[in-house]
This record gives sequence, C-alpha cells and structure tokens, in this order.
Amino acid sequence: MNALDRFREVNRSFPKTSQILEHKSQGKKVFGWLCTYVPEEIIHAAGALPIRIIGYSHEAELDEGNAHLYINNCSFSRSCLQLGLEGEYDFLDGVVGGSTCDGARRLFDVWRRYIGTPFHHVLTVPRKFDDKAQRLYCDEVLKFKRHLEEYLGVDITDDALHQSTLLLNESRALLRRLYELRKRDNPPITGAETMEVLNAAYRMPKEIFNRWIQGLIDELEASEKTHSGRARLMIVGSVLTNPEFVKSIEEQGALVVTDELCTSTRYWGDEVQLDDDKPVLEAISKRYLNNFPCARMYPSDERFNRIVDFTREYKVDGVISETVRYCVPYAHDLPLLSKRLRDEGIPTLALDVEYGTSGSGQIATRVQAFLEMLEASGK
Amino acid sequence: MTIERRGGNSVGAIIKACRLMTRMNQATPGARQSDVLYYKMLEGYYRRLLQAHDDGKLIAAHTDFFPVELVYAMDIVPMHTEVTTWMMTLFTGENEDILSASAELGLASEICTPHRGLAGAFVTGAIPRPDIMLWSNLVCDNTAKSGELIMDVTGSDGFFLDHPFKQSDEEVKYLVEGLGDMVSFLEQRSGNRMDWDRMSEIVERMDRQIELIREINELRKAVPTPFSPLGFMQLLTVDYLCPGQPEAIEYLEALRDELVAAVKDGRGTVSRERFRLMSFFLPPMHMLGFLDRIAEEFGAVSVNEPFFTFWGEGRLDPSKPLESVAQKSYMIPEMRMFGPLDERAIDSIVDCAGQYRIDGAIFWANVGCRHTCATIKLFKDVLEDIDVPMLTVDCDVVDPTVASEEEVRDKLEQFFELLEDR
Repeated sequence: MNALDRFREVNRSFPKTSQILEHKSQGKKVFGWLCTYVPEEIIHAAGALPIRIIGYSHEAELDEGNAHLYINNCSFSRSCLQLGLEGEYDFLDGVVGGSTCDGARRLFDVWRRYIGTPFHHVLTVPRKFDDKAQRLYCDEVLKFKRHLEEYLGVDITDDALHQSTLLLNESRALLRRLYELRKRDNPPITGAETMEVLNAAYRMPKEIFNRWIQGLIDELEASEKTHSGRARLMIVGSVLTNPEFVKSIEEQGALVVTDELCTSTRYWGDEVQLDDDKPVLEAISKRYLNNFPCARMYPSDERFNRIVDFTREYKVDGVISETVRYCVPYAHDLPLLSKRLRDEGIPTLALDVEYGTSGSGQIATRVQAFLEMLEASGK
Repeated sequence: MTIERRGGNSVGAIIKACRLMTRMNQATPGARQSDVLYYKMLEGYYRRLLQAHDDGKLIAAHTDFFPVELVYAMDIVPMHTEVTTWMMTLFTGENEDILSASAELGLASEICTPHRGLAGAFVTGAIPRPDIMLWSNLVCDNTAKSGELIMDVTGSDGFFLDHPFKQSDEEVKYLVEGLGDMVSFLEQRSGNRMDWDRMSEIVERMDRQIELIREINELRKAVPTPFSPLGFMQLLTVDYLCPGQPEAIEYLEALRDELVAAVKDGRGTVSRERFRLMSFFLPPMHMLGFLDRIAEEFGAVSVNEPFFTFWGEGRLDPSKPLESVAQKSYMIPEMRMFGPLDERAIDSIVDCAGQYRIDGAIFWANVGCRHTCATIKLFKDVLEDIDVPMLTVDCDVVDPTVASEEEVRDKLEQFFELLEDR
C-alpha cells in the first residue's frame, strides 16, 4: 500500500477506524471536537485521543438529522448529528464544542440531549482578536482543562501540554511542507489527493499520522510524477471533506493548488509559539484564537488578507467560494470577499452546495464555464 | 458598493401609517389608550430618525438586543435594523424591492430576510443612511455578520460588541469592558461626552420597564386573559426601540392599568377564550391582521412567550450603568436561547406551560432563522412530556411568498380541532 492509500483507508473506515478502535481497546479515552477553536492539545495531554466529529464525506440521507435540527441548519451539522444518532460515534467518551457558529452550537445542544456521550463541554470563543478577547479565551481553555481533569481524574501537567504541543506542531509543520509542494508549477499531488491526507489528520493519532505523512512527503519529493491544469484554483469557504468534490473540479481540467477551509489551512495554519517565559496554556490559547480565522471572527479583513496572501504564494488564477447552504458566516462574507478579490484581479466563482456533495452535474458545468472565462481573460 | 439614495421614503411611510393607526384608535369607541400611546411611540421613534440629520444628530443603526440605552444617553438617534425591516413589511409592503436589491449585492437567500432586507433597504436608499453601525453577536450569526457589509454599503463607521456566550464572572467583565470601549468609540465619533447622569436615569427607567412587563405577564395568567392575542409583539417592540425611554413607561403603565381593570371585571380579550397558547418566535409581519381575526374566530390567544416576554430574574442598579446594561443582556428572555441550551430554556418552557395553563403551543418556524428552528424538535419533545401539543408553522417574518394565509389557516384550524378533541 502506498502512502496515500493508507490515508484513504483511514477515511473509508471513519468514524470507526482501526486506529481509534485500537486506542479504545487499550482502555484509553476518545474525545470528539466540533470546531477548530477547540484546542486538541488539552485532550491529548490528558492521555486521550482527540478526533474531529465530521459528517458523511459523501451525499447521504439525513432524515434523523433533519428531524432533530430542521432543514435550515447547515447540512454539515445535520450530517454530523445523523452519524451520531445512528451510533457511529458511540465510542466517544466526550464531546467538546465552542460557541463558534449557530450550526455548531445547536449541534452541540441537540447532541447533548439526544446522544448519550458522557462528557460535554462548550467553550466561549470570542469573536475578536484583541488582548481582552485573548484573556477571556485563555480563561475558557483553563476551565476546559480543569473540567477534563476532574472528569478523568488526572492532572494535565505543563510538561504534558508541552509535549502534546510539540507533537501537534510537528503535524502542522508537516502539512505545511506538503502544501509547499503544491506551490510548484507542476505539483506532485492533486487537490483531491491532498484532501485525503487532511481528512485523515484529525481522524487518527497524530503519532501515527506524522510518520505516515513524513513517508508521503519523502515519496512525493522523490517522485517524478507531476500535475498541471488549465488554471490554478483555490477553494475557500465552508467546511469541506469530500475529495470527490475537488476531484470533479480537477476533472474539468483545473488544478486545485491551495484552499482556505476549516478542514485544511485553517486547521493546520499556525503553530503554537512556545516560549519558556510564558505559560504553555497561554501559548496554546493564543494560537487558537489568532489562527487563520474562520468567517465568524471580526474584523473579516484578517481572513481576507490571508486569502489574498495565499493567492499570491500559490499563484492562483481563480477562487472557488464554496458555501454550504445555511452557512451564514461565509454567506455574509461572500460579497465583501468577492469585491476584495476582484480588486486584486482574482475572479471568484460562488458555489452554494450541500455538505458532502460530489460536485457533479450543475457544479461541473459552472466550473467548466469559469475555467473558460479564466482562459478567455488570459489567466 | 454604490448607493442609490432615495431619502428615507419608507420611514416616511411608516410614520404616516403610525399616525393613521393613532387616529383610528382615537376615533374607535372602546379602543385602548395604550394602543394610541404605542403608535405615538412608534411615530415619534421614526420621526426622530427621519429628522436626525436635519437636527444635527448622528444616526446609529444597530442590530437586535444591542444595548441602545447607551446610544440614547449620548443623544445619538438609534435605528433598530431588524425592526425597521419588519415595519417596512408591515406598513409599506416593500419586501420585493429590498430583497431583490440584497440579491444583487450577493447575499445568499439562506440569510434571514430581516438582514437581507435591511442590506437591500440601504442599497435602495429606502431608509436613511446611518453614520454609525453598531452590532453584536446577540443573538445569532446574522447579527454578528451583518455589520461589515452595511458599513461598506453605507460608508459608515462601526463598532462590533462581542457578547460572551455564557455568564461567568470573566465573561461579564469582558462584556462590561466591551461596553466601555463602545462608549469611547461613540464619544470619539460623535464628539459628545457620555452623560452618565442621563445614563443612570435610563437604567432606572429600564428597570421600571422590566418590572412593568413582569406585572403585565402576571395579569396575563388570568382566565380569560386580558391581553390582545398578538400583543406580545408590542412588548417586544417597546424594548427593541425605546428601552428606558419615558414613552415606553407611559405605554406600559397605561397597558398595565387597562389589564388590571379587565381582570377585575373578568373581561377577556377575545369574545370566548377557548385555547390558551404559548408562542415561540415571530409570526409573519404581513399576517398580523389576519392572525388577529383568526384569534377572535377560534378564541385562541397567545398568553405566554418564554423567549420573548418572560424576563429573567434580577434588578438593574442605576449607580452602575455599564454593569446594569451587561446584566440586562443576560436577563432578556431571548438570552435563554443564546447560551448553552440547557435547563434554563427547558425549565422555563415547562414552568410557563403550568403557570399560564397552556393548551397548546405554536412554533413560528422562520425559514431563515437557524438558531431558533434547530430547537423545534427539542421543544416539541419537552412539551409532549407534559402533554402539551405543539404546532410548527413554516413561514417567514418578512417574505410573504413563503407561506400563504390559506396554508396557515388550514394548519391552525387543524390544530385547534386537535385541541378541541382533547
């Protein structure tokens, strides 16, 4: 099995992957987190396995999710809940959420009421980046740590937090190295293949993931395989985990070279800056609140600036803005982001989709037309 | 983004409609004095808005549950964004134009109509351009995200108030600090200094206002209930538009006195009260008249709204204005829905159902409102446990194309039949 296939196998069997089941069989705990503003380091330092709660990465019937969350909640929340209600997450010892968006907080509320996961915690996540917000968020992380310590009957030491941070920083650095390869004129990996790696990153122990991705990077660096396309595209917007969606864009002749998603760059974006003079918890909190921002944060320019920087670094010809229906933060940002990108000379294609869509049919047609427009404009 | 200025025509239409309602009430024998005061209050609010720039005052547009007491204390004229969209729908019927304009801006149809309509209203110039945009994350992503686009469309300055999710000491401190920052921003932008004495008076009146609403809620427990079937919409509007203002107190005192007299006489608001209802969230604005007629026809009256009129415990302290404004934000009925949806929300539903002798509940499921609709099943299950049926009506508070009167009537009729058979 080559390096990429190992990641695919993890994704195929998720949520009940062999790595998670192996972890459980050793009597260890597994905690699910709902949003990238939940610090994984705290869970890991407590000796538990943090995994991301994700819905189906493909189109699926969401009858129970619809009944419990109503159809106007985003299909990501409904899909996560559907899996939970079907017992696919019955191995979880706890669920941790944040006050990040309406979809995530209601998913947390309904999960707590209808799914019997024993431990629940929700963090207040400020929407600003200033020092006051930083202090509040740090206090929230401290409360989460204490709650977890109390529940598990363990001390989460600074040393354990330090070690967990180093491990997660290593994952982030390795993902950054993978993305560096995508800056090449002819990258050795496609956008769809990259998504397989990203998906596995939060579905398995980082100790194993880091070994595997190191192997993949070695393989890619030694490989003579390259990819090219009619245009270099960036995908921005709502949560996205279906590699088939990216593949369908690339099948139209484009090459997706980077992205701005909470399942990709916003997940691994920044590293925790450890400083011997500052408490490790403060460093972790600072990283999570100041990381590549979600559309929920204010001011939006922080997000827009980073997207524009990425378009330059990755030599992007056009941006696909993918908004999951009823994902209000991204829907609100779209007019201002499109305007900002237009000012930078970057055309945007806005796609309103359901979470898990494969991107076939109408979407493929629109991507095709977008590519033709880019070619006609000399991009 | 460019603006096609039209000079606040819709506000003029709202003022005319309110004046008409005032005159109609004055001319109707037996009409309530509180209704006259209510429409006078609305008229005054929108007249001040229309004249603000001529009077040399700044206009501050603000989203739901924003602490507008601070705006009043600084002699800045507030404009409640969502309510103004409702009022346009209610009095001018200008939904199509403003929703089309918002679509041209690029706002997706899943964004709730009050916010889409508002952005559209600014683009078309249907309402006056604000000098300042104030917004917060109370109570949903739409409020949290609407400010920056409006700033861009109108070219105004803005301040975002970050409201914490829960109520720990640290979170309350963060909120109070944020309010202080907002005062500094307003002082800098307006050139006015905060009048703390005036602010204390406003807090004192706000405390009185909450007490009056509590008294009114007590009176609504009477059988038959004395308060009009959709009167809760007025209670909401008073707090949204005129918190801590003398005209709000005048209206609430008149209403309280009328309800006291009605209870004493055993007079109900409908001819024959048959069904006592609990309401969740907002019925469509364009159907208010229709729903009033339905209420009379079927004897069905909303007597309690746990998340709209049922205030949390606590009193405000005029000597601590910023702390009181922060505390008020945790007392507002909707706040039970904002933080973690736990026993606060669930217990209040069960408690209210018992205290108000509820026969059934109606959930107005606004298609653009995610944070409320996600609770439909949960609330339905909670009520089912205490043998109270709940009807869900799919609708939209602003857009009349989502549900017709016929559809809503059919659903309500079936529901009332079900209640009758029990």
